[in-house]
This record gives sequence, structure tokens and C-alpha cells, in this order.
Amino acid sequence: MQLIERASKGDQQAFRALYDANVDRIYRLAYRMAGEEDLAKDFTQETFLRVYQRLDQFRGDAAFSTWLHSIAVSVVLNGLRKVDRHRKRERPLEDAAHVIPGNSPVEPGLRDRIEDAVNQLPDIYKTVFLMHDLEGYTHGEIAETLGVAEGTSKARLSRARAKLREALGDAMQEYV
Amino acid sequence: MSEDPMDRILDAVRETYHAPGRTPKEAMWEVIQRGTEAAPGDDVIDLTAVRNARPVRRYRSYAWAAAAAAALVLGIGIGRMTTRVGGDSSLANAADGVPTSLRFAAAEHFGRTESLLTMVRADARQGRIDPMTSTWARGLLVQTRLLIDYGSGAEPAMQELLEDLELVLVQIVGLAGSGSMEGDRTRMELELAVRSVEERELLPRLQAAGRPLGFSGA
Repeated sequence: MQLIERASKGDQQAFRALYDANVDRIYRLAYRMAGEEDLAKDFTQETFLRVYQRLDQFRGDAAFSTWLHSIAVSVVLNGLRKVDRHRKRERPLEDAAHVIPGNSPVEPGLRDRIEDAVNQLPDIYKTVFLMHDLEGYTHGEIAETLGVAEGTSKARLSRARAKLREALGDAMQEYV
Repeated sequence: MSEDPMDRILDAVRETYHAPGRTPKEAMWEVIQRGTEAAPGDDVIDLTAVRNARPVRRYRSYAWAAAAAAALVLGIGIGRMTTRVGGDSSLANAADGVPTSLRFAAAEHFGRTESLLTMVRADARQGRIDPMTSTWARGLLVQTRLLIDYGSGAEPAMQELLEDLELVLVQIVGLAGSGSMEGDRTRMELELAVRSVEERELLPRLQAAGRPLGFSGA
């Protein structure tokens, strides 16, 4: 709390300490959600800038990390909506420039199907799925971050997994 | 790999779906630091200097806040009067949840902000920035924050526009407040500010947001 108080008064060292303690998780989450380094960087930067500007509004009712994550998820989801709108106008160029990373041992065909299947998930399921199954957040952390009950987080994860099983079950038999 | 089909799916997703690399910590910090330098509250650097400067800073800050609040209240007041006289129901219909008076004040604010951003963009082409820009941008920044706090959240598009404006104005306040345009860093920051304006498509969005009330500044 002391660090937060100092940072809210403009102490850059204190803010840097808060940044160091949290940036890896925020960046990883932003990357998982956005899928591009530039976007993940932009979203992470914007998250920390907003946090800095609003530190005086942090009341300590929740953990700082929870507050930070809720801002990050909001920044990423809003940012992705804007990017989607922009991309719809520039789809042909983007398609031409799309390159799939080639260093994974997973079959390219399966990789595409995984990408499609996860992208098809509605945001509310996808966010919980990425946070829990890919980045290791607990249901308690997810619930606080998203402002929902733990049961809701569990239900959304279960729904996301069911959709993925449905979309990828046969592919896993085929490729693995 | 595990025998459970779901575990196999999860292993494959973890490995392939947007797997992050190393965090570019320092590169991001550099950008964040530039943003925070321009934000309010950056005066805790040298305690003595801060204590000496504090009365002046407070006065200026309150003066700006008061001016911006007065402008906002005036805008809202004019909005209420205009709504009564003109009875512009299309506006109310266009923004369910946002009072028409607030929308009026916001539209007026968007027009003035558009003028500032147009000027900054023109200045950037000549590699300079008007010394008055900082004062102008600071007032608009305070008013942007007042509008955000006043309840624009009821309309997500307006909220998004105000939040984007806030970030760009913070950049401009810091940039213009740094004084001369000497040095590569300042020039680079001016370019970054202009790029932010363009990437966020702020000018067309401001024009669209201000147009229904005829406040577009360009």
C-alpha cells in the first residue's frame, strides 16, 4: 500500500516497482488475448498509463493486482473491438500479410483449427478460458477481475471447454 | 501428452494459441514513463522544489479545473436551454442514457479539441509547436476528465472517444510543456503524439461527434 501511495504522488521509483511486479502477467495476458506483439505492447502500456492516472482513485478495497487486471482486461477488450472494426475495412491487405509462426511441432492444420476454435468463443468465455487454462489464474482471481461470482467464472470455463471439445475433438483424434 | 482428450486439446492450445514471448519490459517502460511525465502528479521529484512551487502549482491547477468546470457547466446549461427551445429529440434518441445537456457540452468540447489537434498536426509538419499549445491542451485535458467523470460512461462510444482524447492530450501537455522543439527526443515525441491522433482516428471521430450540433472546429 505504501508503494501505491508513493506512486500516486508521482514517485517514479515506486511506480516502477509496481510495474516490475506486475508487467509480466499483464503482458502475457494481453498477448494471449491480442495475439500480436505490437498490440500486446500497446495494451500493456495503455493499462499502466491509465493505472498511473487513476492511482488516487484506488481505495484498496481489492488487491492492487486485481484492480490492475480489471483495467487491463477492459483496455484489451475495448482495444480489440477497435482493431476489429479497423481490420474489417482493410481485410485484403491483412490477409495477404498474415504469416503463421512455423516453429511449433503442432501440425499446421491443427494449429489453424485451434486458432479458429478459440477465436470463435464469445469474449466472456474466451477471457475466462485464456486466464484460467492458459495463464493459470484461479477462479477467485478471475471472478474479482471480471466482477463476477466464482461460480460464474467456473460455468464460463466449463462452457468454453465444451465448445472447444466440440470444435476440436475430432481434430485431436486425427492429428495427435 | 496426456491420455485425456481435453488435456490433449489444452496442451495443444497452450502451445499454439498466441503463445507470448519474452516481455519487452524496458521498451514498454520507456513509453509509459514518457506518458507519466506528462500526467498530473509528476511533481514529486525534488522535495524542496516541489514545496517552493506548490502554492503556484495549486493555484494554476485549481484555476484550470475551475475554468474547465465553469465551461462544462455553461455548456450543460446552454444545452438545457437549447433542448427546451429547439426540442431536438433526435439527439436524445441518439444517445439513450446520456443527458442531452451533457451531450451538448461534449459536442462543444469535441469541436475545440478538434481545433487543437488540427493545429498540433499542422505544427508537427513544420517541426515546431506553439508555446500556447500547452495551456490550451491542459484546459482541454481537465475538461475531458470532467466529462469522463460526469457520466459519459452511459454511452460507450463517447466514453471511448474521451478516453482516447485523454491519452493524446496528456502527450501534448507534456510535449508542449517541455519548451523548445530542440532535440531529437522532442521531435520524436511530437511525431508520436501526431501518430496517436492518426492511429486512433481522432479527427474524423471528433468531427462525427461534434457535427450533429454544428461544433466541428475544422
